Amino acid sequence: MPTVELSKVSVIFGKVVAVDEVDLRIHDGEYVTILGPSGCGKTTLIRAIAGILEPTRGEVFIGGKNMKDVPIEERDIGYVFQNIALFPNMNVANNVGYGPRVHEKGIEEQVEIARKYLELVKLLDKMQMFPSELCGGEQQKVSLARALATGAKLLLLDEPLSALDARVRVDLRYELRRLVKRLGLTTVHVTHDQEEAMSVSDRIVVMRAGGIVETGTPAQLYTRPLDIFTANFVGETNLFEGWVTHCQDCKSAIELRDGTIMNVVTCDFAEGEAVVVSVRPEFVFPFTEGMRTRITQTIYMGNYWRIIGIAASEDPVEFDVPVAEGKLYHEGQEVYLMVNPKAAVVYQRPREGIAEAVKLE
Amino acid sequence: MPSVRLEKVEKRYDDIRAAEDLNLEVRDGEYLCLLGPTGAGKTTALRLICGLTDLDSGKVFIGGKDVTDLEPERRGTALLSQTYSLFPQLTVAENILFGPDIRDLPEEQRRRTLANMLDLVRLTKRPDAFPGELSGGMSQRTALARALASGAEVLLFDEPLRALDARLRISLRHELRSLAKSLKITVIHVTHDQDEALVMADRIALIRNGHVLQIGEPSQVYDNPVSPFVANFVGQSNFVTGRIIEKGEKTVVRTESGMTVFARQCAMEMGEQVVVGVKIGNTEIAREGDSFFEGIVERVLFEGRNLHVDLLVEGTIHFSAKIPSWRLGKLASGDKVMIRWSAEKASVFPMPEKGLREELKVE
Amino acid sequence: MARLERVLEFISRRSIRKGWLALVILFFLSFVIIPTIFVLTYAFTNWNAIDSVVLNDPVKMSMITNAIINSFEIAGFVTLIDFLAGLPMAWIMVRKKFRGKQLVDTLIDMPLVVPTAALGFSAALFWGITPGDIVNPLGLGVVSSPLLLLILLHIVFSYPYMVRSLSAILEQIDQNYETAGRTLGASPLTAARTITLPLFRAGLVTGIILCLARSLSETGGTVIALATLSGSGGYNTGPTLIDGWKKIAQNTDPNYNAALAFVSILLIIIALVLMIIIRLVMKRVHLPMGKVWPRPEKLLSRGFFPKLKDSSTMVFLAVAVLLPSFFIFTCVFVFNPTSNGNWSGFGDSIIYSFIVAGVVTCVDLVLGVPLALYIARGRSKRLPEVIDTLVNIPLIVPTAALGYSLSLFWVGGNAVNSDIGLLLVILAHIAFTYPLVVRNVTGAVEEVDPAFEETARTLGAKPIQAFRRVLLPMIKSSILAGAIMAFTRSLGETGATRAVVSNANTAPNFIVTLITKAPKDLYSAAMACIILIAISYVLMLGLRYFTRRRKGAI
Repeated sequence: MPTVELSKVSVIFGKVVAVDEVDLRIHDGEYVTILGPSGCGKTTLIRAIAGILEPTRGEVFIGGKNMKDVPIEERDIGYVFQNIALFPNMNVANNVGYGPRVHEKGIEEQVEIARKYLELVKLLDKMQMFPSELCGGEQQKVSLARALATGAKLLLLDEPLSALDARVRVDLRYELRRLVKRLGLTTVHVTHDQEEAMSVSDRIVVMRAGGIVETGTPAQLYTRPLDIFTANFVGETNLFEGWVTHCQDCKSAIELRDGTIMNVVTCDFAEGEAVVVSVRPEFVFPFTEGMRTRITQTIYMGNYWRIIGIAASEDPVEFDVPVAEGKLYHEGQEVYLMVNPKAAVVYQRPREGIAEAVKLE
Repeated sequence: MPSVRLEKVEKRYDDIRAAEDLNLEVRDGEYLCLLGPTGAGKTTALRLICGLTDLDSGKVFIGGKDVTDLEPERRGTALLSQTYSLFPQLTVAENILFGPDIRDLPEEQRRRTLANMLDLVRLTKRPDAFPGELSGGMSQRTALARALASGAEVLLFDEPLRALDARLRISLRHELRSLAKSLKITVIHVTHDQDEALVMADRIALIRNGHVLQIGEPSQVYDNPVSPFVANFVGQSNFVTGRIIEKGEKTVVRTESGMTVFARQCAMEMGEQVVVGVKIGNTEIAREGDSFFEGIVERVLFEGRNLHVDLLVEGTIHFSAKIPSWRLGKLASGDKVMIRWSAEKASVFPMPEKGLREELKVE
Repeated sequence: MARLERVLEFISRRSIRKGWLALVILFFLSFVIIPTIFVLTYAFTNWNAIDSVVLNDPVKMSMITNAIINSFEIAGFVTLIDFLAGLPMAWIMVRKKFRGKQLVDTLIDMPLVVPTAALGFSAALFWGITPGDIVNPLGLGVVSSPLLLLILLHIVFSYPYMVRSLSAILEQIDQNYETAGRTLGASPLTAARTITLPLFRAGLVTGIILCLARSLSETGGTVIALATLSGSGGYNTGPTLIDGWKKIAQNTDPNYNAALAFVSILLIIIALVLMIIIRLVMKRVHLPMGKVWPRPEKLLSRGFFPKLKDSSTMVFLAVAVLLPSFFIFTCVFVFNPTSNGNWSGFGDSIIYSFIVAGVVTCVDLVLGVPLALYIARGRSKRLPEVIDTLVNIPLIVPTAALGYSLSLFWVGGNAVNSDIGLLLVILAHIAFTYPLVVRNVTGAVEEVDPAFEETARTLGAKPIQAFRRVLLPMIKSSILAGAIMAFTRSLGETGATRAVVSNANTAPNFIVTLITKAPKDLYSAAMACIILIAISYVLMLGLRYFTRRRKGAI
């Protein structure tokens, strides 16, 4: 049963350090997503696991075995490409049956295996069609079936949904997880889409500039991210600069730039420290007192209204109100905002400044 | 600032109807999102408006003037393509000044335009860089500045955010819209992403198979969809099919298996076969209480702000619900729950000719 | 400014654009296509002449039959060897990175630019057994059979075409397909064979057709090689037959025109039919991809087999292509200089060749670029597709036959004075260089996303402005590359020149006379070859410089 372990893996192209001494362990049967912005090294990492490129330093272990000098075709993996890569001159059945074919299974067995996996992705009726006749979502499902048909227990997905329409992505991501769990596979999934990562993963590894920022379950990374980059990258959040003026029994008072006091629950910071408070929009609400904010835009999101404004401290603020209350708010209006003290996460103020610390490109 | 109007436009490519009885009116200074699945004819519509594609029949009006036979360079529309098409042998500054150069504007005016644009899109540090050296976000902003500097009165955006990372898209949505609004320019923005449309549009036009299905403000299109397709494309919906057994302020529908559900008032007849659609965000689930029917929780997926709950009803029908995340831990796979919704949140549609599954197909 | 506006306005009007296009297409048809295949009409107009002079003359018939068989025999072997040696080379050039790759890339193209006359001489000296007075002791001197020598010679000319065609297709095939195959468990060899090779078909067809055509066309080098080899008298290929008989027809016996026409017609028709058959057959042929032999293929994928394959490919390039081409340089040390070297004559011929090449290249550019744009931007419409196919005809028609057909079209096959002769040579050279420019530019334009020009138009640019400011900079280097290719091709062409005006004063022709007329002046011939090669090489370096710059800028 495959586990994956990376030990101090670095991948360097000339002067560019794409992956910088990464240590990672993935357990048997786990669905792990590597999440990060473009250029963070996530694709390079998964290609190193697959053997498509060799790490410059460090080692890759699959199932406990060192993969040094083990070529791609002997690693027993299933790989799904971002641009799908279905063989254009073979029909769906032959594409899916390719793996069994190179493992020397007879024609009948190839067809049987192809049927089995095409049925799993509900595309049995397209067996005789060619990839060019299928639409994006269908092509990717065939690509998945093809990767699974080898019987590999380790599945590597390189941005499998990025090329698809938003709507198709949403449908396909649930399919993906359902299938993987049913077959009991260990899965490594690479993406830049945090919503996608949160909905499919057991655990998420956040990467940036070649290194791992933090790992955790979707809920952990969303509710209690350890790093301010994660707080901003995984879901939207408001960031307020301030100083701790008072701290007792883990109840802290933070003074914002304009003097407003924000109460949060945290034990980690002493009086006088410069901090940044992260609060997600759904935990900011209008009240009779608090941060004075001028509304600049109201947006209907279907399930709620997103109100955008500028606080007196000059920080941009976004907060959510239920649909029924939307009509109470309009552009130019002034409101007072409070935050849920337990939902706020406080960080040390980054030396390079907030903008640099959360930069996406 | 002119408005844009497409009147009974038809365009065919061999067998494919890229535009069929396409009618669209865009108001002056409006930010309109043209929303639909791939192949719906959104890009064709943009190309017909700016004149890069000739139509088979119909008319195109810009600013009240009939431009159907006018060349692209004279229509006053600038196109921003998905891949930005920044001219690789020109610097950022030269790209931005392409329009003014063509029109041979005086040196002073050109300098001012460039400074304004660089400031507007926050690119003041890199005017001499070449397109190959820019990141995705910077490329997009350069292309935008170039379109704005051309003096066009109508901007056409063809999936301008598609090539960017998901998180970057969310940040740039606001920027793009505020820029257009501050300059009071009419924008037609094509996208397949309904979240994007909801956030950015003054009005959303739903397009499918070359035809506009519905056009209205985001809240309108979201809450009062005209067809099951629209109901499911703009926000996911659950559907139940059955016959109308009672009419009035509420519509009561009974399914074949004997379940009874409520929906809002509708214009259909008693006994008619209908489809009831309700958004998954309006589908309520609870442990006990009044309900239309029961369901078993298949899986609970954490999406950050919300939980996506997949349910199985009567063993075969799939239902979904979106509930706030704080309910995580209170629901687990295998739990039995009660499903209901408020009548005025559910729409009633006539049964689609080709069946519900065909109607909802996105590709 | 307003006047410029009005001029721009005028030329952007649809009617003007259409008119210019019509003119360009008319030029193409009447100066390139029709003269090239005009000789075919001779069969209808002068059938009696053919019947009496040729068909009823058993000597001539047997010469013709043998020559044509020889031509196709050579072409067949050459193409096969080119494929076997060229496929691994294409793979190396596209897929592998190594130091000195740029150098190898340049070397592969060398034979394209070297004048065929020079190459023929060089190869014959390298491989062949030559008569006592023209022996180069450094040569291998192992080949005595004309067939073998010509095969070795033609390999040099046609090898680059095969490698380039295969490379072009291989570049377009996404390497991810093979990688995907490997993740599914296939060894690199199995993946290449079962996934990439079947996708190759289009490139293979082009490569085969170009190789066959180049070999069938080959005149200048063949003439010289045969003249240099001992005891090859009497051996003829189709083009050398035309070459020989043209001289007779022009100077001695006009009846030979009928024979010339007949051979030309035969060559053209058989070549065209062969191309069509190849295209049809390749559509149906299934390369072996059904069976999989994992264990032996895995063995062949690892260890020293790939290294053996790569090194033998390089050795082939060096020994079969490069050495024979450059061998001529050693002649400077081996042959003795003669005191009466006709250097002013050589100088005149160089000037003549340059004038021809210069005029030809200019005409090709001015009238070829618009046609290329038309074809590239009109891919889905009927007329552009038809024109695209027609453009290939002069490339397939053997240049000797082409030259003769042209002389028939313009002057009825008769001898002419030197001014008209110059004009005829220019027209002949236009015929087979024009497609080179058109193909080059078409290929480059097709690589450019039309979205660039479209965006420019929505930003207010008229079509001509969009072309000048956006498209032209992007294809500039391809235009230049096409121009250099046309220039060097014209500079080096022998067969067509001699077939249209037997005694034209071009540099390659000058070299041929030095070798074929008695007394042979080999030192001068060798020096002339070297000078010609040096000029072409410098031009080709320019070509590499411009195309490399393009790749860097975009």
